[in-house]
Amino acid sequence: MRLSAIPEGAAIALDAIRANKLRSGLTILGIVIGVSTVMAMASIVQGIRGQIFETLEIVGPTTFRVLRFFSTTPLNPDALPREVRIRPVLSPEDAEAMQDLPEINYSAIWVGLFERLAYDRTRTQLLVVYGADPRFMEVLGGDIIEGRTFTPTEARAGTPVVVLEREAADRLFGRENSMGKVIRVGGRPFRIVGIYREPDNIFQPPGQDIAAIVPFRAAERNFRYDETNSLVILVKPRTGISVDVAMDAATLELRRIRKLKPGDPNTFDMITSDQILGLFNRLTGVFFLVMIVLSSVALMVGGIGVMAIMMVSVTQRTREIGVRKAMGATRREILWQFLVEAATLTLLGGALGITLGLGAGEVLKNVMGFTTGVPIWSAVTATAVSIAIGLIFGLLPASRASKLDPVEALRYE
Amino acid sequence: MTDTIIEVRNLTREYQMGAELVRALRGVDMSIYRNEYVAIMGPSGSGKSTLMNMIGCLDTPTEGEYWLNGLEVSTMGDDALARVRNREIGFVFQTFNLLPRASALHNVELPLIYAGVSGRTRREHASGALSRVGLSDRVDHRPNELSGGQRQRVAIARALVNEPSILLADEPTGNLDSTTSEEIMTVFEELHAQGQTIIMVTHEADIAAHAHRVITLRDGRVHSDTKKAA
Repeated sequence: MRLSAIPEGAAIALDAIRANKLRSGLTILGIVIGVSTVMAMASIVQGIRGQIFETLEIVGPTTFRVLRFFSTTPLNPDALPREVRIRPVLSPEDAEAMQDLPEINYSAIWVGLFERLAYDRTRTQLLVVYGADPRFMEVLGGDIIEGRTFTPTEARAGTPVVVLEREAADRLFGRENSMGKVIRVGGRPFRIVGIYREPDNIFQPPGQDIAAIVPFRAAERNFRYDETNSLVILVKPRTGISVDVAMDAATLELRRIRKLKPGDPNTFDMITSDQILGLFNRLTGVFFLVMIVLSSVALMVGGIGVMAIMMVSVTQRTREIGVRKAMGATRREILWQFLVEAATLTLLGGALGITLGLGAGEVLKNVMGFTTGVPIWSAVTATAVSIAIGLIFGLLPASRASKLDPVEALRYE
Repeated sequence: MTDTIIEVRNLTREYQMGAELVRALRGVDMSIYRNEYVAIMGPSGSGKSTLMNMIGCLDTPTEGEYWLNGLEVSTMGDDALARVRNREIGFVFQTFNLLPRASALHNVELPLIYAGVSGRTRREHASGALSRVGLSDRVDHRPNELSGGQRQRVAIARALVNEPSILLADEPTGNLDSTTSEEIMTVFEELHAQGQTIIMVTHEADIAAHAHRVITLRDGRVHSDTKKAA
């Protein structure tokens, strides 16, 4: 009996919605906004997560980083805390020492810089320039589409050569051939030896794509940078060696060359991709929580709107309730009818919100270059939540309807 | 035939209206038998609406007993009363009380929904009831597409669809002109001829004249009870 009341109740609800289009539209607006916000937020977070994953996938889930000090926020280089100051700055020798270990496949020191590129009269804004080692593609992905990467000799000597990213090359040279030309990187002359193409989905804030890679020694010689935040040693274990084993070996080696006694604390930090991901998950978790709280305010407001309209609806249809009771409807059946009606209303709002949220997600996906879509779970949750809101906020009006005295209700004008 | 369908003993109903105690029914005794056609009359304030609500199981008495078709209704709770209304009583109201946005068929289906009849059976029963009142060609019409007489016939079809023990009509012609009223009375006549028990509350003597027995109330008591010679 109760199940057969669902299509009946839904039909009544749709009828009432059709009869009061504007009123119903305004009623469910809050639900629409709330649900679409959740959906859009979910797709943003999912998209960013997807890109982080892809980047880490490129860097390799096994790659780990050695830092002077691991902090979730950049440290002020002019006022380093003591615990950081006593730690030595990372050096190319650290990287080389680890490179020699049998467990390690790749180990190199990198520096991240922001510099302007200039050729002739063309000048770019500040772009990301890495001081790295010739095997940088093993970490970044992508490929050389013209020319070559710098040689180990150039790397060791710190020759001022540069591998230019394709987009930066286009910006500086247009159609002109750029190979062999000398450009200015942060005011210093560098000769172009190759053109590099970034992998497609690498996660970068807009406008911060990699523009150029120079040998680490050349960067060290030509530019000023912050020795705590900008330097990192990227380490990749050999195939078949687990990250933990490689990290242990690397730790021992660094302790050895830094002459640390047993019991001394490490004077460096090591973090894995998993830790970065974990950090990201914690940050987005907070972000997500805030969004959910905000959009549940919208949903609450929407729910209250639904409650108000259902109250009006119950009053308007007092006579109908009387008739239904006279025809043999029990309290429970009347209660159920109005609950189904409220849930239909909010479900409709939810469906609209999902459509809107999916649309917004699709737009965001294109604008921000995400590869992942709106997660299914968010649509499922949104649907469930809209129904729940209808049931919760419909309860008061529905119970009022169910308690009407049939004699009074039939007499109601 | 003396098969009792309604047995009322010392039926009393009091209301608290502010500080005042209104005694709408002051001990009504009566019996109504199967296939009777009864009109309940009385001036306003005589208690006929209250009695009608009692008989229709919409209200419960303050005192006294009410037996309907062998069930003691006067002691029942809300849900049990709803079930009794669904099975035993077919209501016809003065203002028709059809659901305005539902088709004639759907209106007639309503009691069947609450009886738990589903799908095709429900539609078959409902259209059967509509053809009994001569409206098989108006199945899909909404109330506002029907004349007053047609609306009341839809309401009668709705009252009949669950094959109730009694058809309970409250001023069934109150909103109709005299020609249409006659038409409705003819329908009642036919239903009675088919064996339907009919109880009709009215204040119009010429409408009451169609009934075979007239009970008159005054001041919450039965004033007169006359049977027409067949």
